[in-house]
Amino acid sequence: MAVSGAQRAGLLEKYRGAIIALSVLIIISPIFGIILAEKVNYHEPIDVMAEKLHLHELDIYSTPFDNYQVPGLPPTIGYIIAGFIGIAVILGIGYLAARRMAGA
Amino acid sequence: MHIPDGYLSPPWWIGLYIVTIVYGIVAWRKVRNIIDSETVMAVAVLAAGIFVAMMFNWPIPGGTSLHFVGGALAGILLGPWLAFFVYAMVLGTQAIVFHDGGITTLGANIFNMGIVDVWVGYAIYKLVTRAMGNTRKARLLGAFLGGWLGLAVAGTVAGVEIGLSPSFPYAVEITVPAMAFWHTALGVIEGVITALIVDYLYQHNSPLVQLAERLQALQPATAGPIAH
Repeated sequence: MAVSGAQRAGLLEKYRGAIIALSVLIIISPIFGIILAEKVNYHEPIDVMAEKLHLHELDIYSTPFDNYQVPGLPPTIGYIIAGFIGIAVILGIGYLAARRMAGA
Repeated sequence: MHIPDGYLSPPWWIGLYIVTIVYGIVAWRKVRNIIDSETVMAVAVLAAGIFVAMMFNWPIPGGTSLHFVGGALAGILLGPWLAFFVYAMVLGTQAIVFHDGGITTLGANIFNMGIVDVWVGYAIYKLVTRAMGNTRKARLLGAFLGGWLGLAVAGTVAGVEIGLSPSFPYAVEITVPAMAFWHTALGVIEGVITALIVDYLYQHNSPLVQLAERLQALQPATAGPIAH
């Protein structure tokens, strides 16, 4: 069964409000993910445990957007762009898979 | 909660990769006959939502804190089998694109958040809503307890995995109490957020809730208990 243009558009249209809300959240996310995190010296329980055991992360690979940053940009802007890249990747994979399924 | 490379010994991370892949195959077999393009898109939208929620670190004075994980939320909304694919997308993207969580430990991270957290949260929500009926109060309480205890158990399991890794003998005496205490304490915030989101989506008859209702009608064991 071939998927129509209307069906393709409808896949994401239903979630337009959710995607707008996510975009707004991404724009304000550096307040929590960068600024306040630095102010309170944010660390997770796994970091506390790792310190006690003297565990160290193995640096066996890297990515262009390590730690939600974009090279050359301030951390807050990089964080926002990383957020949009993240949802673009996830929604892109989902959209392609959904189209494939609709066309199957 | 994302375990980085180097924190697990090879037998543990290889073993957890195998368990997670086998679970993924079982999950696919459970859902493949009832999902359609709309279901796939809903999985992606929820994955995008959880990805963004994870960018919000909770700014707790003292610094030891967490971010939203959402295993219970995904299990409640889409059921435990579909929720697995939500986490495969979120954690795969985080590890591969942003180096958040290791690549060797990706299987372990999906196991902890996409299987353990999901199932514990889902089971508790289901118990509460069965016992109290499908009322708004029951949904709020079930989602709160599911979110809280799902995170507490998942964090503890991560502590067991790290503590029992042969590279760090006797570490389990340190890792389990530390991970269990902090995830149980901070899990209260996860529970509150989970309850508020479930309540909001239900009160606004979100497309995710509509999808859950449709899946529930097709196969009750697959869909989340949000729909009745």
